[in-house]
Amino acid sequence: MSKGKDRAAKARQIVADQRAAERRRTVTLWTSVAVVLVLFVAGIVGYTVMSGKDEGKLVTPSVAVDEGTAFAVGSGPVVVDVYEDFMCPACGNFETTSGPTLKNLAGAGKVTVRFHPVAILDRFSNGTEYSTRAAAASAAAAQEGKFTEFHDVLYANRPEENSDGLSNAKIIELAASVGLTSDTFVTAVNEGTYQPWATKVTETFSDRHYTGTPTVVVAGQKLDNPTTEALTAAVTKAAG
Amino acid sequence: MLRITMAGNLSGTDSDYPKVTMETSRQTRMTVAWPWIGTAARLGLAAVWLIAGALKVGDLAASARAVNAYQVMSYDTAKVVGAVQPFLEIALGLLLLIGLSTRLTAVISALLLAVFVAGIASAWARGLRIDCGCFSSGGELGRGESTAYGVDIARDLAFLALSGLLVWRPRTRFSLDGVLLGEK
Repeated sequence: MSKGKDRAAKARQIVADQRAAERRRTVTLWTSVAVVLVLFVAGIVGYTVMSGKDEGKLVTPSVAVDEGTAFAVGSGPVVVDVYEDFMCPACGNFETTSGPTLKNLAGAGKVTVRFHPVAILDRFSNGTEYSTRAAAASAAAAQEGKFTEFHDVLYANRPEENSDGLSNAKIIELAASVGLTSDTFVTAVNEGTYQPWATKVTETFSDRHYTGTPTVVVAGQKLDNPTTEALTAAVTKAAG
Repeated sequence: MLRITMAGNLSGTDSDYPKVTMETSRQTRMTVAWPWIGTAARLGLAAVWLIAGALKVGDLAASARAVNAYQVMSYDTAKVVGAVQPFLEIALGLLLLIGLSTRLTAVISALLLAVFVAGIASAWARGLRIDCGCFSSGGELGRGESTAYGVDIARDLAFLALSGLLVWRPRTRFSLDGVLLGEK
């Protein structure tokens, strides 16, 4: 009789199916546990890397204004906030086209320019973090009363993105060319004294929900397109 | 996978073994094709996460700023999210690459992508001018650069479709799942 054999085959099949299902359940359970663990560990790694970043001791330049995050040029009634990265090409263009106007307005006592040297382009200097080094060096220059001169010479020698940026030695050499030769300055550049401060300026910038450089804010109003005309018009309007 | 059905004794032979009957050829073709389509989806999604994570992991501060640019959380929270996200993306990519618990990793991928789509849509709706930071450390959008929210969302929806496919059909070739389940 084939009926008995048929039943036996069916029974074997059912047992095999059950075993397979059991195995699937076990595998699914443990692989799921493994996945959750892996993702959890990855998250912890990210958190640890972030909080473990040695940001060093924050040294705020005593001459800094705006909660210690900017350097003021001029003392006019209209406040113009300029957020710039020393490596950013658009900032270079802004300096070339609108820099003189800005200085004239400050010189004429119409505006107070507050320069915020932010460092958002560190990843474009082959790991040398030029943006942070340059911003930190500008703080050292400000402390010596030479912010504007140093700022201008750095923009005149702005390195292209995805280059190594200027070395500390080159930064010191350029500073010397504008009369900035003090040991305090040289030491601050070499030791990166103000680098944690540059990070703080950048975080303040992001915290204010600014995302790009140059960001130009006239009397609290961000200019959508910071051309010289827009800048002059905004200053005139703010002056009333 | 070929479906094994009980053919019983219909053929009149006295075999102990169930017969393998071919279903209609079109169904068979799909049965054979699905694991391969799934494999392509799995490896594609793995590449997406690995690339997205790798492009961010080198500059966690920038990643934090990209998250903060969405203006949906405090800067301190954005800092944590920005640091954790690239590592999660890389881990997800690796898990998909080896094919461990494909269905679960696909579900998690889908959830993450849904959050990203919601974030981009919200930035769009609020009129923010930001780079989505999907495949970069984002945030900064240069002068004259325009936003690409529509394209970003369409792309994320395509990735979401890949995830959905894997949730639906998680059995793929060359996967650790397959090895553990004793499949070929």
